[in-house]
Amino acid sequence: MTTSYPDRQIEDLIDGKLPFSEIHKMLSSFKDPARFDQYVAIMQGRVPWEDTILLPYGVHLFIVQRPDGQRVVKCDCGHEFGDYRTNWKESALVKVRDSEASLLELYQTMTHCDPEWMELREFFCPGCVALLEVEALPPGYPLVFDFLPDLETFYRDWLGRELPH
Amino acid sequence: MRMSTPTRTPKVLAIDAGGTMCDTFVIDADGEFVVGKAQTTPEDEANGFARSAADALRYWDMNVAEAFPTLVSGVYSGTAMLNRLLSRKGGRVGLLVTAGQEDYLLLERGIQTYLGYSYSDRLHVQTHVHNVPLVPRDRIHGIPERIDLFGKVAIPLYEDETRAAVERLVDDAVDAICVCLLHSYRNPAHERAVKRIAVEIMRARGVDVPIYLSSDLYPVRGDFARLNTVMIEAYAAAPSRGQMENVQASCEANGAHFDLRVMASHGGTISTKARELARTLASGPIGGVVGARHLGQLLGLKNIVCTDIGGTSFDLALITEGTYQIRSNPEIARFVLALPQVQVDSIGAGTGSFVRVNPTSNRIELGPDSAGANIGMCYLEGGIDTPSVTDCHIVLGYLDPNYFLGAEITLSRARAIEVVESRIARPLGLDVYQAAEGVIEILEDSLRNQVYSTIVGRGYSPRNFVCMSYGGGGPVHAAGYTRNLGFDDVLIPTWAAGFSAYGCSCADFEYRYDHSVAFPVSADLPDEQKQGLIARVNEQAEALKEKVRAEFRSNDVAEDQVQFELLFRVQYAGQLNDLEVGTGKSHLDDFSDIEAVIADFEDLYAKVYSLAARSPELGFLITTLVVAGRSDVEKPILPTRPCVGEIPSADARKGEREVYWRGEFLTAEIWNMEKIVPGNVIRGLAIIEAPSTTVVVPPDSLVELDEHMILHLRLRAASSGAKE
Repeated sequence: MTTSYPDRQIEDLIDGKLPFSEIHKMLSSFKDPARFDQYVAIMQGRVPWEDTILLPYGVHLFIVQRPDGQRVVKCDCGHEFGDYRTNWKESALVKVRDSEASLLELYQTMTHCDPEWMELREFFCPGCVALLEVEALPPGYPLVFDFLPDLETFYRDWLGRELPH
Repeated sequence: MRMSTPTRTPKVLAIDAGGTMCDTFVIDADGEFVVGKAQTTPEDEANGFARSAADALRYWDMNVAEAFPTLVSGVYSGTAMLNRLLSRKGGRVGLLVTAGQEDYLLLERGIQTYLGYSYSDRLHVQTHVHNVPLVPRDRIHGIPERIDLFGKVAIPLYEDETRAAVERLVDDAVDAICVCLLHSYRNPAHERAVKRIAVEIMRARGVDVPIYLSSDLYPVRGDFARLNTVMIEAYAAAPSRGQMENVQASCEANGAHFDLRVMASHGGTISTKARELARTLASGPIGGVVGARHLGQLLGLKNIVCTDIGGTSFDLALITEGTYQIRSNPEIARFVLALPQVQVDSIGAGTGSFVRVNPTSNRIELGPDSAGANIGMCYLEGGIDTPSVTDCHIVLGYLDPNYFLGAEITLSRARAIEVVESRIARPLGLDVYQAAEGVIEILEDSLRNQVYSTIVGRGYSPRNFVCMSYGGGGPVHAAGYTRNLGFDDVLIPTWAAGFSAYGCSCADFEYRYDHSVAFPVSADLPDEQKQGLIARVNEQAEALKEKVRAEFRSNDVAEDQVQFELLFRVQYAGQLNDLEVGTGKSHLDDFSDIEAVIADFEDLYAKVYSLAARSPELGFLITTLVVAGRSDVEKPILPTRPCVGEIPSADARKGEREVYWRGEFLTAEIWNMEKIVPGNVIRGLAIIEAPSTTVVVPPDSLVELDEHMILHLRLRAASSGAKE
């Protein structure tokens, strides 16, 4: 007996429409082994482009297989950030909050960080201007490369099939 | 369930309005009884109760109008208040707390984010969630003031801020105000001052809403539990009072003359007019324990293990030397409360518990969730998608699919076999019967471990106990979960399915008030301090007694009909856990009474923890004074009938059925419980059926019905008496 959920429930989960009691049940139940493919299929149906999703990569972001064989990071709006082995942040729009005035736009007095010690970097998609990621780092610290997945191993050893070409 | 004689004088009525069914238990002057059932009507409980009572009286060919005038006692236990709390449909309450503590309900002391969770869910923080607060943050105001833990004023009450806060609550059109200030149980002066100010303001503004002071209602240590309890009193209990009055009114409309009483968490019953109604909230599983204690008194049994298996849980309680233990911080509906509650341990394993095979470990897992009223997949109308323990009962032949709840519901054996096969047996590589039997073994093993560890954990041995088994599912598994524990006797009352309602009717009319104190005691106290202690205890006890008297006065019970008992909660100085000991007296005469309390505490401590763990070096601390006041009420008497021979009459035998037992199919005799009479002995393998419960008698065992209509389960070899 393996656990599985109807697509509708996974869609509601993605959209934040499930009541916590339902989420709690899912969290506490046995894992549903088909979830990865089910989730990817739902996301594939939602994006306006045709490239095959290989791995969901973050809010709005996916690693996709292009017809020309390249594997790139792609926003759900269609904007491409280039090869997934280079940090997509290097080609994103960025807003740095490194002054008291800019931090006070988000925080109440006395509740924000000291900009001498920490700054916030907000990364946006050049295509749709969606907020994709926020870094909190000391000033001068290089961009963080959040996630470099080993796609081949993941597909072969975890999903039990070869990575699509 | 029915026993018949021609003329009837119904004496006691007990109503247990559960979430789905309303059970009524009526007992007549000879101790004979009927049980009625009807669907609960949450919007108007009086309606469901009236139909349930009519259903019961039908067995005696009586109607409600004939029966109610002769009743002298009526007890009610319902879930209306709990539902109001769970659905957050209570009153519009405002809170006044010590400044700086306004976020009580947002923080919930952390613990309320995972109360009632399974062990693994408690470990995983992503499952923790805050409850929807009963009172939103903007109706909670802080008042600058501080009383320290010794009761001294550290910061005086800021009256202007108090006025402003009350004004805002009045602006917010609240319909109740609760006040809970730090350490008010030691010194209620500030809470009382807040009340005085609030009354002045409301009078000036022409409004009148009730004000609940924590120092007045629940003067016990622990501010968060105290706040919760006072808040629930205002939020859910007070609005439910009307519903209870409707039930009372519906009784009176049918000619009843008794004052309806409500089962309360401390094991007594209280009036619907009682000041502290919140304690009726936590009375769920304790009815059976009170019933078992009463039955024990009548039968001369002092040590009883009470085991109750329902559809969703297994409830376990110990009665030792004729009394149950009381816990002071029960948890209910994800709230920590400051109420005395009869100690009952529940585990989430019942006959409706879901059965799954864990795909990771390939092991059978039970619960903790359950099919509840939908029974299992064998109940096609239930719409359940996971097999339950009942499905396994059906597969093995323990239950007759055509006689569930007295044939009210038909279950599908084919469906049970199909799902147990596909969901449990096949993944494990077993045949369907082995798998179903495996499930029952796992359930009974875990119940047996729970029973054993509870008894041994309190320093006793099962040999000192009899086990009482009741609830719809108890008698099915009684033989399994008592096996090899060496109980003195295993008792199954023939009214097992209605035992909770029966228990409610056995409860005393009893009020109990607790007050936190901090009285250090040691043997080497100077004499004048000993005298001072006696005086202070008696003075505080008198104040509690006055509260009890006031409650009884509102029900026109004269003071000379009330028996008081003074109880203490005591701990070793410097430790954190206290235990409750009674005195059997209504006030203290001299220091020898305190010495007796300390000696009893040390005995109890040695039993609960261990002899070597006793630590009297630093002395003792009396943490709580308790006064209980009881007034006699009519209780059910035990029916006594002549024993007539071992052989049951031919018409008691319903037939036979193939039952899978330890790896093979055996032929079991099927008996009708209603046709068995005292003295009859039934040898296993046998199954005794009643409309709402079933007794399974293993091949090596027998049951004997005694003159009080109680079945005794024993091993066949030891027919002389003691089991094993």
